[in-house]
Amino acid sequence: MNTLRADAAVAWAIARKDALAELRGRQAVGSTLFFAALVLLLFGFALGPDSRRLTEAAPGLLWLAIVFGGLLTVARLHQLEADDDALEELARYPIERRAIYAGKALAGLGAMLVLGGVLLPVVAILYGIDLAGAWPALVATLLLGAIGFAAVGTFYAGVTVRMRAREVMLPLLMLPVIAPLLLAAVKATSAALGGDPFGELGAWLQLLAGFDVVMLVAGAATYGYLLEE
Amino acid sequence: MPQTTIYAAPRSAGPQTPPPAVATVELARLFGRSAALAGVSLRVESGRTIALLGPNGAGKTTLLRILATAIRPSFGTAAVAGFDVAAAPELVRPQVAYLSHATGLYDDLTAEENLRFAATMLGRADGPDATRMALDEVGLATVARDRVRGFSAGMRRRLALGRLLLSRTPLVLLDEPHAALDAEGMRLVDRLMARWRDAGVTVLVASHQAERVTRQADGWARLDGGLLLEVGGEGVSAITATRSAPPLRAPAAVHR
Repeated sequence: MNTLRADAAVAWAIARKDALAELRGRQAVGSTLFFAALVLLLFGFALGPDSRRLTEAAPGLLWLAIVFGGLLTVARLHQLEADDDALEELARYPIERRAIYAGKALAGLGAMLVLGGVLLPVVAILYGIDLAGAWPALVATLLLGAIGFAAVGTFYAGVTVRMRAREVMLPLLMLPVIAPLLLAAVKATSAALGGDPFGELGAWLQLLAGFDVVMLVAGAATYGYLLEE
Repeated sequence: MPQTTIYAAPRSAGPQTPPPAVATVELARLFGRSAALAGVSLRVESGRTIALLGPNGAGKTTLLRILATAIRPSFGTAAVAGFDVAAAPELVRPQVAYLSHATGLYDDLTAEENLRFAATMLGRADGPDATRMALDEVGLATVARDRVRGFSAGMRRRLALGRLLLSRTPLVLLDEPHAALDAEGMRLVDRLMARWRDAGVTVLVASHQAERVTRQADGWARLDGGLLLEVGGEGVSAITATRSAPPLRAPAAVHR
C-alpha cells in the first residue's frame, strides 16, 4: 500500500512537472492546437458545404486531428526529458519504473483531453453538428481514446526519444499499433453523434476500454527497459 | 600524499566484513569497437574520498556512469556497497548520488521547482525545507523563483550541486564538479567535499583539477586509455579478479 502511495506521488509529481513545462512553453501548446484545428478547417473546405457529408466525415476527421496533435504532444513531453539529459537523471532516481511511465502517461492523458476538449467544439462549429445529447457518449469516447493514445504514445515516445529521426519514427511505430483504437474511437464517435441507432456504442466503448487496459499494463511492464541505456 | 603503485591483491573479504563502497572486477565497457574501459579492477573503502585522475578519454566518466547505473558494463562486474550494478540496479540507486557532465535540469521550471521535483523523486518528506536549505547552500536563494532557462552554465552547475545535497546516500560520484564554476563556486565544491568526508560519505571525484582534488582526497586512481594505471594513498586499491573479488550481496538480504 505504501509502495503504491509512493508510486502515485512520484507519478503525480512527474505529470505536474510536465504540465508546468508544457504550459510555460505556450508557443508549443498554441501551435499544436492551431495545427489540429487547421486540419479540421482544411478538410471542411475540401468536403464542401454539404452538411450530411460533413457530419458523416466528422468522426474520422476529429480523430485524425487528435492523432496529429497527439503525436506532437507525446513527442514533446519526452523531448523535455531529452534536453540536458534529464531522462538519465530521472532514470537514476530510486523510484519504480512503472511510476515514471504512469507519470508520463498521465501528462499525456491530460494533454490529449485538452486537445480533444478544444477540438470537439471546433468540429461542432465548423461542420455544423449539434452535440447536445451526445455529450456523455462523446466524453466517454474521448476519455477512453485519450487513455489508449497516451498509453501507447508514452511507450513509443520512450522508444524513440534517443533516436535521431524520432519525429519520423514515432508515427511510423505508433500508428499501426493504435489502428484498433482509432477504428473503435471513430465508430464510437459516429454512433454517439448519430444517436446510436444500431446500439453499437457500448461494444466500441468496451473495445476501447479493453485496448486501454492491455496497453497500460504492457506499457507499465516494459517501459523500464527503455530507460536502460 | 604518498604515491604508490599497488597491484597487490588485498585479502578476500570474510563473511562478516562489510563490503567495500565500490568494487570493480575486470570492468570493461565498449562503445562500438572502442573500449572506454578495458578491464578495471578497483576497490574503494567506505568513507574515503578518492580522486580519479587521467586525461580526456581515460575512462573516468565511463566508470562513474557505470557505478551510477546510467550505463551497463560490457564485461566484468561493478558493485556498490556489495550490490551488483548490472544485476540489481534498483538496489544500487538508493546508495548513489551522481553529479554528471549534463545537469539534467528542466529549463521551463524554476530553480526551486527543479529541486522540489528532485526531493519528491528522492522521497524526501521535508521537500520544501530541504529545497530552501539546498538553494541557500549553493548560493541560489535569490534566484529560486527564476526559470532555469535563463541561468548561466555556472548557475546550472550550482543548482545540480544543490540537487545532489538532497540525496542522502553513502556514495557520491562527482564528474568534473568544478567545471563552469567561478572561484567561489569551486570553493563551494571543496566545502561540500569536506563535509561529505566528515560525514563518512564515500566520494569518487573525477577531475582535471588534479592538484585541487588530491589535496582533499585520501587516495587517488589514475586511468588512461580505459586502463587503471596506478593507485595511491589510502582507501583505494587495485584488485585482481581471481583472488579478491569481493562477495556480492544477495538482493533478498536487503531491507529498504
